[in-house]
Amino acid sequence: MATTATPGIWSRAQRASIDRLHIRLESFIVLLVLAAAMAVLSPFFLSVSNFLNILLATSTIGVLAIAATFVISSGGLDLSLGSVMGLSGVVGAYIAVNLGAPSPFGVGACILAGAIAGYINGQIVTRAFVPAFIVTLGMLGIARGLALVISGGRVIYGLPEYLLFLGQGRPFGIPVPVIIFVITALVAHFVLAYTRFGRHTLALGDSEGAARAAGIRVERQRRILYTISGGLAGLAGMIFMARINSGDPTAGLNYELTAITAAIIGGTNLFGGRGSILGTMIGALIMGVLQNGLNLLAVQSYYQQMAIGAVLILAVFIDQYQVRKETRA
Amino acid sequence: MKLRKLAFALAAASLAAIPVAHAEEGEYGVLMKTLSNPFWGAMGMGVEDGAKEAGVEYFSQAVESDQAAEPQLNVCNTMLERKPVAMITAAINSTNLLPCLKKAQDAGIKVVDLDGNLDPAILDKEGIKITFRIGSDNVAAGAQGAEYLVSKIGADAEGPVLVIEGLSGNITGEKRARGFADKLKELAPGLEIVASLPGDWDRGKAATITNDILTRNPDLVAIFAANDGMALGAVESVYAAGKGDQVTVIGVDGNSDAVKSIKEGRLNASVAQLPYLVGKQAVENVKKAIDGESVPTDVAVPTLVLTKEVLEAGTEPMLEFVK
Repeated sequence: MATTATPGIWSRAQRASIDRLHIRLESFIVLLVLAAAMAVLSPFFLSVSNFLNILLATSTIGVLAIAATFVISSGGLDLSLGSVMGLSGVVGAYIAVNLGAPSPFGVGACILAGAIAGYINGQIVTRAFVPAFIVTLGMLGIARGLALVISGGRVIYGLPEYLLFLGQGRPFGIPVPVIIFVITALVAHFVLAYTRFGRHTLALGDSEGAARAAGIRVERQRRILYTISGGLAGLAGMIFMARINSGDPTAGLNYELTAITAAIIGGTNLFGGRGSILGTMIGALIMGVLQNGLNLLAVQSYYQQMAIGAVLILAVFIDQYQVRKETRA
Repeated sequence: MKLRKLAFALAAASLAAIPVAHAEEGEYGVLMKTLSNPFWGAMGMGVEDGAKEAGVEYFSQAVESDQAAEPQLNVCNTMLERKPVAMITAAINSTNLLPCLKKAQDAGIKVVDLDGNLDPAILDKEGIKITFRIGSDNVAAGAQGAEYLVSKIGADAEGPVLVIEGLSGNITGEKRARGFADKLKELAPGLEIVASLPGDWDRGKAATITNDILTRNPDLVAIFAANDGMALGAVESVYAAGKGDQVTVIGVDGNSDAVKSIKEGRLNASVAQLPYLVGKQAVENVKKAIDGESVPTDVAVPTLVLTKEVLEAGTEPMLEFVK
C-alpha cells in the first residue's frame, strides 16, 4: 500500500474531493458503511420515508452544526447555540401567538433574537477580551433563563398557519424543514469554501496574528461570525417551533455539544483553520443515521449515546491519522 | 490504510453485535420519557408483564433525559417506520409529539397517552383523537396528601404550610399542588399555605426553598412537595434545622428512596403512584381496544398513601405494586 510514493486511486480521489468539494473522503465512507450496516440490520431502514425522517431529524442539529463550523473554523467557540435556539423559538411564538403579529414577524423575530444574542457574544468577545468559552457559556445560561421567563416556563402553543407550514408543510412530499436545511447548507458551503469572507474566516482560525498582518479586520470578522452563528441558531429555533406548533423553552437543551460533535466528525479542526460545511453535513448525517438505525433496532438510548461517543473519537482518529500521514509525506 | 480498514471492520462488527429485533404482525410501540428514573423503570416492567399476559409483541424506546423534547419526537417518527398497531406514548410535554401522533393517527395507529401528559384542548385543536389516557389522578393524589396531614395533626391544627411545586408550568405538578391546597382548605382551614414555590423537580432546590421558608416561618408545621425527590430534599433541610419532629413532610411518587426514608422515620408519607400498574393496564386496555371492546377514554389508576405504619404492617394489597 505505497500510497505515498506513487499517487494511487485513493489519494487522487482524496485530493480531488478536498480540492473541489472541501470534504475528506473518509467521513463519507464512514457514512456509507454505517448506512449499509443499518440497511442490512433493519428491514425498515431503506425507504424514502425513512430517509426523509433522517433528514428531518437532522434539520435543527444540522443548522446549528453549520453555525458551529463557521465559529470553530475561525478559532472561536459558541456554547450558547442550543439555548439561543430555545430562546428564539419562544420569542417567535410569543410574538406570533401572544401578540398576534403576522407570521413573517414571527419568523423575523426568531432569527433576529438569535442574531442579537450572537451579536452580543461577538461584542463581548472582541471588545472586553473575555474568552469565547466563558462569554458563550454565560449566554447559554442567560438565553435559557430568558426563554423560561418569557414563556413563564410553559410551552406557547398554537401558531398561525403560515408558520406551521414552515415546520409541517410537505411540498412535493419533502418536509419544509429539510428544504430550509439543505438550502442553508448549500449557501453556507459556498460562503465558507469559495468567498473572500470564507477564506478570511479560515485564515483567522489558522493564525490570528498572520490574519491581522495580512490586513484582515480580525475583530469585525469575529463579530460577524458570532452574529451569523446566533442567527442560524435562531433559524433552527424557528424550524423546531414550527414543527411542534409551539415555542418550547426547553428546546435545544445540550444541542450545542451535538452540533460541535457533528462539525468535528465532519473534519472541522477544533482549534480553527480547517472546516467545511459539506463535511459537517456528513458528520451530522453520520449521527442522524446512527441514531435512526439504532432507534429502528429498538436499542436503548443509553447505548446510543455510547455509540455516538465512539464514532466521534473514531472519526477524529481516522482524520488525524490521515492528516499526519499527508503532512509527513 | 491498514488502520483504516481495521477501524471500519471494528465499526461494522460492533454494529453487527446488536441483535436484530424482529417485527411481527401487530406490534405495540411504547415510547417512554427516560429510563434513568425508577418510575419509568417500574412502568416498563408493568408493560412487559402486561404484554406477556396478553400475549402481544411490543418494542419500547426512551430518550436520554426527560427534557429531550425534540429527540423524543424524532424517536417517535422513527418508531412509526416499524408500522406498529398502537403507540403508547409518554410525551415530554403537551406539544412535542403532536406531529408524530398525527402521523400515527393518519396511518390508522391507535394512540395512547401514557401518564396523562397531553392536553385535551390542544389535541382537539390538532384534530388528534387518542384511544385513551391512562395514569394516576394527580389532583386526587394531592388531596390524599392533605387528608393524610389532617389525619396526623388534626382538623383544628393551625400554622404555616409550605407547598413545593414541580417545574413551573408543568401540568402534573400543578395538579398535585392544587389538589393538596383545595383539600387542605376544606379539611383544616387553620392550616395556612404561606408559600407555594416551584422546586423544578430538583432535590437541591427544594432543600434551599425549605431552608429559606424555615428562616421566615420557624413555626412551619408541614411541607407538601409535588414529588419524592423534592420531599427528600426538604426533609434534609428540616432535620438540619433540628425541626424533624415539628414539621410533617409529604411527597408524591412512592419511589424506592422515599420508601427507605419513610422506613427510617424521616419522611412522613408519600402518596405512591403505581407505575407498574399503569404500564400493565395500558397494555391490557390497548389489547381490549384493538379487539373491539370499549375502553373508557380516561383510565385512572389509584394512588396509595405510604406511611411507616402502612409499610410495616404490609397488609395493604396494593403494596405489591409499589416497586
